[in-house]
Amino acid sequence: MLASPPVPATGQRAADRAVRPRRRPRAGRAGLWVVTGITALFLLVPVVVVVLYSFNSQQSLTAFGHPSLRWYIALFHNSSLLASVRVSLEVAVMTTVVATVVGTLLAFGLTRSQTRWSRPTNGILLLTLVTPEIATAMSLFLIYTTQLHVTLSVFTITASHITFSLVYVTVIVRTQISGLRREIEEAARDLGCGEMQTLRFVVLPQIRSAVIGAALLVFVLSFDDFVTSYLTSGVGTPPLPVYIYSMIKFGISPEINAIGTLMVAVSAVLGITGIFLLGFRARRGRAA
Amino acid sequence: MKQTTLARISLLPGTLWLLVLFVAPWAVVVAVSLASTNILGLPVYGTHFGNYSQILQPDVLGIFWRSLEYAALATAACLVLGYTTAYTVARYGGRYRHLIILLVLVPWLVDYLVRIYSWIQILGQGGVLNSLVHALGANVDVNLLGQSYTVIGGLAYSYLPYMVLAVYVSVEQLDDSVIEAGRDLYGTAAATFRHVTLPCTLPGVLSGCLLVFLPAIGDFATAQLLGSPDQYMVGNIISDDASNPGGLPISAGLTVLLIAVLVIVALAYMAAARPLVRRGVMERAG
Repeated sequence: MLASPPVPATGQRAADRAVRPRRRPRAGRAGLWVVTGITALFLLVPVVVVVLYSFNSQQSLTAFGHPSLRWYIALFHNSSLLASVRVSLEVAVMTTVVATVVGTLLAFGLTRSQTRWSRPTNGILLLTLVTPEIATAMSLFLIYTTQLHVTLSVFTITASHITFSLVYVTVIVRTQISGLRREIEEAARDLGCGEMQTLRFVVLPQIRSAVIGAALLVFVLSFDDFVTSYLTSGVGTPPLPVYIYSMIKFGISPEINAIGTLMVAVSAVLGITGIFLLGFRARRGRAA
Repeated sequence: MKQTTLARISLLPGTLWLLVLFVAPWAVVVAVSLASTNILGLPVYGTHFGNYSQILQPDVLGIFWRSLEYAALATAACLVLGYTTAYTVARYGGRYRHLIILLVLVPWLVDYLVRIYSWIQILGQGGVLNSLVHALGANVDVNLLGQSYTVIGGLAYSYLPYMVLAVYVSVEQLDDSVIEAGRDLYGTAAATFRHVTLPCTLPGVLSGCLLVFLPAIGDFATAQLLGSPDQYMVGNIISDDASNPGGLPISAGLTVLLIAVLVIVALAYMAAARPLVRRGVMERAG
């Protein structure tokens, strides 16, 4: 840090000269921290409000009664909401399984096939990442209703979620595969491994943490997704975000705060697991 | 030789999936945007360019323009707040700066709609802000819902973490000694920022802007719940017309138009990024 060299106090004038130019950047730095503080407040206040009011014994926003679990109890007695949670979990689990398998295979194929056929697939991958979700969701809605003539259901939601999720899996896993050393696989083949065995016992263990990390990400993305779920769900029980949307449209209900707080708890656990897994991988990678 | 066979086979399911559920639907969107509808609201294919003249009406174009404006303003707000935050934490955040920056992800622990709901509770009629103003002694009723700045703020709120993280990564990679060199060459703080820091972090700024702008322009729940019909964005019409019998061609046409606008934005982005590529600042551009 060259910014603050220690000044030998030889004389008053020398000290003055050394101090004066330092004063302005310091004021500027305080200003930077003020804006940062505002950003932090802006980001965190809504979360605090959700958690705080989920424990309010009263429906009102103006008065805080006493801490109570009233809205959590209401939540667990709301059968249509629980049904929505169930639908969201089903969709998220199916999406995670299929997107992880297909996405990982695609990543493997793209890094190892050395064919010009992989180039268009690469292009499509990039396109899916930059297309706004509403456009993709709209196109899926149209193909379901006008071409395939399927009833919108849990399966159309899941198929749509897989479409956007598998790309994330491919991108994450591909980064990991392209960092692998080919010699290890060649060694395995020299030692008599078949190609499936090489894949199973050599490649897969090395990319395991990236695959698990991608799977967790996909689960969260699918569970939280609103736009695609909204456009591709039919008349049956909607997934949770769509259900919350209609709840908000019909008016204020503190139950939503309770759902939000439970989500904070669950996703914090998932997030910390994910960070732990990635950190574990990074440490192992460094050791290797 | 055999190994690439296996690799080629593993390309198949993913490629097929994307062809059937990403590429093919686009053909359908374009076809439906040129179709007319029968009594059931199902498309009868043809070449009805009239659909587009229905879309290119002043009121619809106005909504389109508003969406661009809202998304651009939300991006600008994110840039100011996000850049300052990322820069401050990356340069002065100390050894725990990586942990501090992860705090911007806290809102994402809560569902997107619950976050919007929280803003309704804060800004709405008889909400938290209202109580705060009353507690401070002012006897005015505060209800900020149904205002354009509320919708813009809501959009900025939803996507601000993307900007912070994108800029943070590029400020982190910035070598402190480069900034010090700028100061040593008698650059003022402002000049050093303009000629050294900003150009070096531009890749992060550009990708941050894209990460905010793209989802913001397609967003419809924010305008629906924090705004009024006066603040509706293109996403609102696309999703409303989709459930409207006979509205499918309009919905599809608007989607095509949205993508056309984004292609223009993408070209502008590439034009902005090209000088950087040439200077070698951005090795992995695009």
